[in-house]
Amino acid sequence: MSARQRAIIEFMLDNLVWLLLIVVLAAFSIGIPSYFQIGIFTNIIEDSTYVGVMAIGLAIVIIAGNMDLSVESVAGLTAMVTGILFCNGGIGLGYTMAPVEWLAIPVSLLLAIAVGGIIGFSNGLLVVKLRMNAFIVTLASYIWVRGLVLALSGGRSAQGMVPELRIIGIPIDPILLPPSALIAIVSFIGFSFLMRRTPFGRHITMIGGNPIATFRAGIKTDRLILVSFILAGAVAGIAGWLLAIRTSGATANLGVGMLFKAFAAVVIGGVSLKGGIGQLPGVYAGVLLLSAIQTAINLMGLPAHYTQLILGALVLAAMLIDTLKLQIRQRLA
Amino acid sequence: MKRFLRATLAAGAIAMAAFASHTAEAQDKGKVFYMVPTLLDEFQTASVEAITNFMKEVGYTVEAKNADNKTDLQQSQMNDVIALKPKAIILAAVDFNALVPSIEKARAAGIPVMIFDRQIKTTKSDFTSVAGTVEIGYVAADQIQGLLKTKNGSVKGKVLQVLGDPADPYTLEIQQGFEEKMKAFPDVKIISLPAMQWEASNAGTIVSDQLVANPDIDLIFVHAAHLAVAAVASLEAKGKKPGEVMLVSSNGAPVGLDLIRKGWENVEVEQPLFAQAAALAMFADKVINKQEIKPGKYDVLGLESEVTIESWGANIKIPGAAINKGNVDDTKFWGNLKPPATPIKPVE
Repeated sequence: MSARQRAIIEFMLDNLVWLLLIVVLAAFSIGIPSYFQIGIFTNIIEDSTYVGVMAIGLAIVIIAGNMDLSVESVAGLTAMVTGILFCNGGIGLGYTMAPVEWLAIPVSLLLAIAVGGIIGFSNGLLVVKLRMNAFIVTLASYIWVRGLVLALSGGRSAQGMVPELRIIGIPIDPILLPPSALIAIVSFIGFSFLMRRTPFGRHITMIGGNPIATFRAGIKTDRLILVSFILAGAVAGIAGWLLAIRTSGATANLGVGMLFKAFAAVVIGGVSLKGGIGQLPGVYAGVLLLSAIQTAINLMGLPAHYTQLILGALVLAAMLIDTLKLQIRQRLA
Repeated sequence: MKRFLRATLAAGAIAMAAFASHTAEAQDKGKVFYMVPTLLDEFQTASVEAITNFMKEVGYTVEAKNADNKTDLQQSQMNDVIALKPKAIILAAVDFNALVPSIEKARAAGIPVMIFDRQIKTTKSDFTSVAGTVEIGYVAADQIQGLLKTKNGSVKGKVLQVLGDPADPYTLEIQQGFEEKMKAFPDVKIISLPAMQWEASNAGTIVSDQLVANPDIDLIFVHAAHLAVAAVASLEAKGKKPGEVMLVSSNGAPVGLDLIRKGWENVEVEQPLFAQAAALAMFADKVINKQEIKPGKYDVLGLESEVTIESWGANIKIPGAAINKGNVDDTKFWGNLKPPATPIKPVE
């Protein structure tokens, strides 16, 4: 096999999920009436926003060879914090930054990042310093953080986001996408660069592949793992912030079920649960694919259970493809 | 003198002890457990507060157990609670059928079971206090017929119905009631889709997609007020103005009432939470002391309610109300979060 042929096959294997996305979009556009229109495609991108952002942090932790189950609850918490502070209905306090009202955007965003980052830091600290299992630590966080959401809200909802924040969720005329979708796209581009082109990203991938060898190579593995957890928490914080803006409020169960979607997107996107393998653009394609399928189900009026059936089948297919890819790569080597 | 003093003190002590024991008996008639299906929902959270306060007014201490929407957890909680031998159990079942064995086990152990909000007809219980989920669907259908008629001249048009989680019988019964009443109007096209896990952003996504695929939707009917919030966010994102697409919701939560005030929502079908909880307290003594409950009309916080004796036991049905812009500030609606000022009195 020539080097050119090998490169083409490698490229195909790396971008299989994008090909799958194109095939699925084409099939739905042909088969489902009213699927093929700009409004539906912008909906798909918009709906991928918060799960997509959440999946970035999750993917980084998984590539580093760990696990973070707390991202969903962290997003729920930051959504609730944003809702309580910046909504004017229900339990919302309706804070504004008058006279400089736009300051509500950076202030609320930084607050969400800080809240998420603190939880990520506590997760990372327990994993790195006390050598506790990441699955158990983050499972505990998944539970207690959701409990904190409930305690903060008393089970009640905040509603009616202040206009200066709500604007982030309203589509901009020429591009028909809201700034929230652009934030998600920019986040994917930025973190893809971080993971691919910087020593931090390469070291994270190396740790996931072989932590002992990485440590022996003089890389501070513990510090990097801690940073990966902080990043996952902070990014989940952004996801929650976007979620609150998208729904113009927050309920105590906001975000429930998104962990599963984020996990599915990460796996479908080609990130190995064993760590050390995976690229963020693939994860974004995975999120878009899930959103495309969800939209198709909504338009076809299929019972919701089909979403779970299809999602389960997709994750299984992704795992099979992953195994197949490894075998093909071994043959190519 | 010493003897007199000692005798006086002893008499005083006995009198105080007697008074204390009498007071304790009058104030604390024992513990009742409230099995709440979830706390991630405003109605359920408010129900804990209302039941705790109203039952306290008639002498019972309430401890709530949250099942986190998990049937198996609620079954296990029922087993634990039965072992504690409380005066009674108030059950709002996660799953209407799966809890039947637990109800039977409690009653076999001599513990009365009172059903709250989520009616169980397949086994005997000691008292049921409901607005009726199917009936909520009926009320919503009546209101929606009126809204469509006003808008389109007759009962015709396109309605998007956003259910809650499809595994929850509560939402399925509202759907059943609603669609049963709408059958008579073939010119109304109903598109029904569920918001998985009652999660608001799922409802928002459904509304966004359907507004693109079916731009001629006249009215959106969501099965809970917190879903209405996300529906409004999607309407707003699509450039709609308040009232442009009509919106009807159910349960009467505070956020739903806020949306009516802001003009986004037309009608909220209220589950009369305060009255449902008050009815439990009114009949608690009779249930716990195994006294006969007489059928007939009763006044529950100003709402005319009817007790009937059904095959599953005594059942009080409290009418759900339609809340609109004209009556949204009425304090009798639980969504205004103003509990009744007069204490609950047990039924004689």
